[in-house]
Parts: sequence; structure tokens; C-alpha cells
Amino acid sequence: MLRYLAKKLITLVALLFFVSITVFAVLFVLPGDPAQIILGINATPEALAALRADLGLDKSFWGQYREWVGNLLAGRSHHSIHYKMPVFDLIVDSLAVTGPMALMAMGFAVLISLPLGIYAARNQNRHGDVTVMFFTQLGLATPEFWFGILLILLLSVQLGWFSAGGFPGWAADPIGAFKALLLPAFALGVIRAAILTRLTRSSMLEVLREDYVRTARAKGLRERSVIYVHALRNALIPVLTIMGLQLGQLLAGAIIIENVYFLPGLGRLVFNAIGQRDLPVVRDIVLFMAAAVVVVNFVIDVAYAYVDPRIKIN
Amino acid sequence: MKKAMVIVLVMLVAASLSWAAVETPKKGGSLVLCVGDEPPGLDPTASASAAIDRVVYANIFEGLVKVDRDGKLVPGLAAKWEVSADAKVYTFQLRKGVAFHNGEPFNAQAAKWNLERGAAEGTKNAHPEFFRIIEKIETPDDATLRLTLKEVDALFLFRMAEGDSVMLPMKGFENTAAAPIGTGPFRFLEWKRGDSVSMERNPAYWNPQLPYLDKVTFRFIKDPSAQVAALRAGDVDLIGWLLAPELAKEIGKDKRFKVLSGASTSEVVMSTNNKVKPFDNQLVRQAMAHAIDRKAVIELVMSGYGTIIGSHWPPVTPYYKDLTGRFPYDPKKAKELLAKAGYPNGFDATIKLPAIYPYSQRAGEVIADMLGQVGIKLKIEIVEWGFWLDRIFKQKEFELSMIGHAEAWDIGIYANPNYYFQYDSQEFRDAYAKALKAATEGEKAKWFGRCQEIIAEDAVNGFLFLAPALSAMKAELTNWWQDYPTIALDCTQVWWNK
Repeated sequence: MLRYLAKKLITLVALLFFVSITVFAVLFVLPGDPAQIILGINATPEALAALRADLGLDKSFWGQYREWVGNLLAGRSHHSIHYKMPVFDLIVDSLAVTGPMALMAMGFAVLISLPLGIYAARNQNRHGDVTVMFFTQLGLATPEFWFGILLILLLSVQLGWFSAGGFPGWAADPIGAFKALLLPAFALGVIRAAILTRLTRSSMLEVLREDYVRTARAKGLRERSVIYVHALRNALIPVLTIMGLQLGQLLAGAIIIENVYFLPGLGRLVFNAIGQRDLPVVRDIVLFMAAAVVVVNFVIDVAYAYVDPRIKIN
Repeated sequence: MKKAMVIVLVMLVAASLSWAAVETPKKGGSLVLCVGDEPPGLDPTASASAAIDRVVYANIFEGLVKVDRDGKLVPGLAAKWEVSADAKVYTFQLRKGVAFHNGEPFNAQAAKWNLERGAAEGTKNAHPEFFRIIEKIETPDDATLRLTLKEVDALFLFRMAEGDSVMLPMKGFENTAAAPIGTGPFRFLEWKRGDSVSMERNPAYWNPQLPYLDKVTFRFIKDPSAQVAALRAGDVDLIGWLLAPELAKEIGKDKRFKVLSGASTSEVVMSTNNKVKPFDNQLVRQAMAHAIDRKAVIELVMSGYGTIIGSHWPPVTPYYKDLTGRFPYDPKKAKELLAKAGYPNGFDATIKLPAIYPYSQRAGEVIADMLGQVGIKLKIEIVEWGFWLDRIFKQKEFELSMIGHAEAWDIGIYANPNYYFQYDSQEFRDAYAKALKAATEGEKAKWFGRCQEIIAEDAVNGFLFLAPALSAMKAELTNWWQDYPTIALDCTQVWWNK
């Protein structure tokens, strides 16, 4: 286990280094001057130069890179050019929105996809299966932002059950905050459930054909325990892999849905930061996201071992 | 029965009379309004970004003078002022007993410090030239501020009403960008990054009658349909900027809401690179001016909201000269002019449109079609805002583009041959210099009018329309600004009639 952890840690560091160089280089050559974006088009050249110097943009490529990485290593958080506060605090604040939303979305996805996938597998090629597959096809073809807008039009504008977007904050209004995340999480979850349902179904079908399942049935076990105790555990391995990828993706890439529901989450933060050339924010968040994906994959690896004892971590 | 009828009638008449009477504003309540762009910091003295002024100007911060709903100058922190006969000495009588939100007094010393700060070497103010024209600042007493200018500046007072010239406290100014402290009717509460800025009523405001509202929250919602959904679902009370014109009519039909359509100071122009061929030819530019049907542009792009312009000057600003008739829509004339310029069969060109303004993309498509009809075939390129600033604005790598110039009093950009449309005219520079030196109202009107004429005649840019100040709000919200003659969403006198 320790060796495994060490290996993962080295991968993480190497990956972060690679990501940091890439992100820095891309942002460096990207046209668009942060000082100009902040000061507007009628600013005097003198004011522009003063701000550029203030932001450290007048330094060389390596000079700026060294400063950035040096600050990171020393644990000093950079200040956002746009928001005038440490990027670390911005990430923490926006994770309080995106994190729970991603988990809720995965919750919806699992709640929808597992029963449906199992049901479809057990009724292969019958009406129920065809219906489920039809809807998963529809789900795969539906863009999540469009589904999000439909939910707003129906549940917020017409029925008035939910607010159309925004986030009141956990401290100020916990129930309101939970409600604010419900619709976007549902929109994200349903679309992801479409993939997971198909995956659960096919994986389940494969497992149900295995000899040990036949044995289990032959020895007279109830169908329920055949399915849920014997088959499901093995069928879950590929599903878990995809879920891990999806969770990482949700943490990093709920950009569109956060814009539809104007949630102050990580995706919208980085999206706005790119537009405003808030370089410290973009750099740090991309690094953070890369790290998050690695960590989520690590958790999934551990979960494999839990689900299937034949898999050992070493 | 008859008696009852009479009583009902009397009551009806009384009710309608009370409707007609001027209602006294009610105090209290809170307002949630939405704007498209989140500001890059909250310090208007460190950035010319319009998004900052829209949140803090006149709400949290005030300057010596203000612009009222009609575009006229009115007292701000200065209760009154006098200008000497040679238009060089300005004597401001400051309001007494004004305090910043942190308790620091606002007086002549504070004003002097602010003006010196704007002019200082290495200042972060986007417009140090506003202050460097001041030669001498005297403070004979706490409430008197006497400024002597190096030379006459016709725009000086208007400059003092811009966001760049608001007054900050001498001690509590360092953290203005994150936690602003001003003298305004509202004091800053919280900036939830990515979500909102909120402020509450300043109980110590120098005008004890104001403001009416207890709390104001600015929410940042960029997507136009999300804005409207938020209004309909009751999450916001008002869409202050930028309501999509194509959605405005639909909201107007809903009895719960009302839509106000006024004038802003943002001229939407088809920016033209006056240095590249064939746009360096005045005849070509004039031909394009004849080829564009501005009425149709407003109809197709802005759903009919917006005002036609003929030059770079908002009709809501003083000294406006109506030049909209100079280049009427006339494709035949356009073709003649093109032939005269040596392009009888037209030519190909590229128009680069910034993606952040939906109207500019739509207008680009409409105009490409109109110019196509006289033989100018436009290729449309959509570019991201940062890219636009770098390649088009800074490096001038473009032929045509399109953008709204939001600031009032910005005609001086035509006097700078290095500005991105690269217009170089000694005649204009002379006229503009005379306008700036004009001491009387008549002289100002004459020379600012001349400036507008010169650039209209040269058809420097395609002068299209003035972006509408479109706002939509709950029907009970009262006294919102119809026109936006200055860049601000001033909530001082807004109140709830419910």
C-alpha cells in the first residue's frame, strides 16, 4: 500500500509539473493583455504600463514562471487580478458549490442508472429493455445545458418551485443552497445516468452469463441474492471506472451548467477567468483540477479492491 | 341603492385622483438587480471598466459633481461651484458634515488629496490626464476647494463627474478594490465572487431623505435568457444591463413587469481601419455609409430599440448635433461612389466581431448582407474579447470591426491617429483643441458640433446606432432611470410602490 501511494504521489508531481509548464506556456502566448482588459479601451499607455508592472507582466517567461511556482511551493496563494483576493480562497469558496453539486449529480446518476441497468439486463430485448434503451439513447443525445434550461422553464418559471439559478450560500440559507443545487445536479445526473445505465446493462449481461452465476442459481439461491450479491459486485467494476472519470469531469467541467444556473462554482470561475485573462486564477485552478482528477482516480482504484477482493493494490 | 351607487362612484373618483397625485416615495425594502458583467475589482479610480461604475458609481462612491437623468451636471459632494471669467479657476463649495462610511470626514483636504493622487507619477488611475490639467489646488477653508487649471478645459466638470474622479477616504482607501469605502447613499456589505455585490443603506448619508431602499444586491448573470428566467422566477427584481432586446417585448406583455427603453451613451460603430486599403479612401467609406440602412439594422438587430446616430456623439449629451441625414440609405449612390473610387465591381474584406457583444455579431451579419448588395463582400470572423483587444485594438490587424464605445465625451479618440481606427485629420485635431479651449457655452456647442461634423463627413467609422438603455423590472419598482446618460445604475432614488 505504501509503495503504491508513493508511486501515485510521484505520478502526481510529474503530472503537475507537466501541466504547469503547459498551462503557463499556453497562457503566455495567448493574445490579450490582462492590464488592457482591466483598464478598458480608453486607458492611457502610462496607466497600462503601471498596471502591467504591478501585475508582474513585464517580466520574462521564466521570470514569471519561477515566481509562480516559487510562490506555490512556498504555500503563498496568488492574488486574483479580477477578484482581488487569494486564489486559494476563491477555490475553496467555489468548491463549496461545485463539490456538493458534483456529488449530488453522481448520486442522481447512480440512483437512476443502477436499477434501470439491472432491470434492462434482466429483461433483455423485451419491451422494458427497449424502452429503457430508448430513453438512454435520448439522454446521450441531449445536451445538458438544454435539459437544464428546460428544467428552469418548467419548474422555476412555470411552477415556481425552484429559483431559476444563483446560490444563496451554505451559511446564509442551507436549505435554499441545497435547493439551488438540486436542479443543476439533476440535469447533470440524468445525462450521466444515460451512459451508466447502458454500461450497467451490458456489464450485467456479461456477468449473468458466467458460470458462477449459473452455479448460484443451480444451488437454489433466490434470484434477488444472485443478482445483487453475486452478479452486481462483479458487474460494477467497469461502471466504477466510468463513474470515476465522470466525477473528475464534473469537478472540472460543470462549466456550462454553472453558467446556465449562474452558480459561483469552479467551472464558472475558470471560464470567467479565461475571458478576463485573470492568469493567476486560471493557472492555479487548472493545476488544482489536474490534481483532483488524479486523486479521484486513486479513490476509484481503492474502491476496486473493496468491490472485488481479487484486485490487490500494490 | 342610488346612495350606494353614489358612494361607489365617489370612491372610484377618489381612488383615481390618488393615482394621479404625485406619490410620496416609500422607504424600505430591498432590491436585487442583475447586470451582465462582474466588475474587475470595485475601485473606479483604478480602472476605466464600465462594469465597475455600473455597480459602485453614485451608489457607494460620489464625486464633486454628478450627471442627472437628463445628462446635465448637478451638485454632488460640491453643493455649488463658480467658474472664473477666463474659465480657468473653479471654486467648489463642498457640502458640510459629509463623512465616509468609515467615519472619516470628507472636506477640502480630502478632495485635494484625491485629485493629487489621480495626477501623481505612477498613478493607477486610467485617466491621469483628467487631473494633470490642474495647476494649483487651494483649500482656503474646510468647505472651499479652489482649482486653477493650466489651460481651459471645456470638459473639466464632466470629467469630475466620471467614475475615475470619485472621492476615496485618505486613510481607508487601500482596500478599495475589494472592500470599497465611499460617501454614497449605500455602504458596501459583501462581494460574493462570481455571484453578487451587496450594499446597505448608509444611515449617515448627507441627504437624510435618501436613499429609500434598505439594501441593494447586484447579481451577475451574463446569459440573456438566464437573466429573463431569473426575473420571471422572482429571483431578481430588475434587469439593469444588458437586457436582450429580442426578449424585451415579450416581458413587456407580462403584466407583472415593465420595460423601460431609453438612451445610453454607447455608440455602436462599425470601426474602420482608416489606414488600410481600400478603407483609406474617403469615397469608399462614404459609399459604405450610404449602403447601410440604419433603420433596418435597428429593427433586425435590436428589435427596434435604439436610436440612429450620424456621428460619434450620444443624443442625450449636451452639444449634440443631428447628422443622421448626411448619408441616407441609397445603394445606387453607394455604387456610384465605389465606381468613382475605382471599385466598380466592389471588393472583398473581412469584418472581425468580438464575441462578448451579441448585438455586434448580429449587426455584422446584417451589414455584411447590405454591403454585399453594393458589391462589398464581407467575410465574418468572430473573435474572443482578449483577442480583440490584442489584435484589433492594440496591433490594428483588421479592416472592419464592430463595437459599442460606452463612454460619454469620448470624441477625443478621433484626435489620436494611433487609436485603433487610425484616423488622421489635422482639421479634426484643430477643431477638437478649440472645443476644449472654448470658454462659453456657445463656443463649446459650435466647436463640439464641428467635431461631430468632420468625422461624419469623413465617414471615419460606420456610425450605426446608440445602444438602448433597456431595463425590465417588477411593475411596483418606481423611479428607475429611463435614460442612462452616464455609466451608472444609480439606486439612490428608487423605491417600492407596494
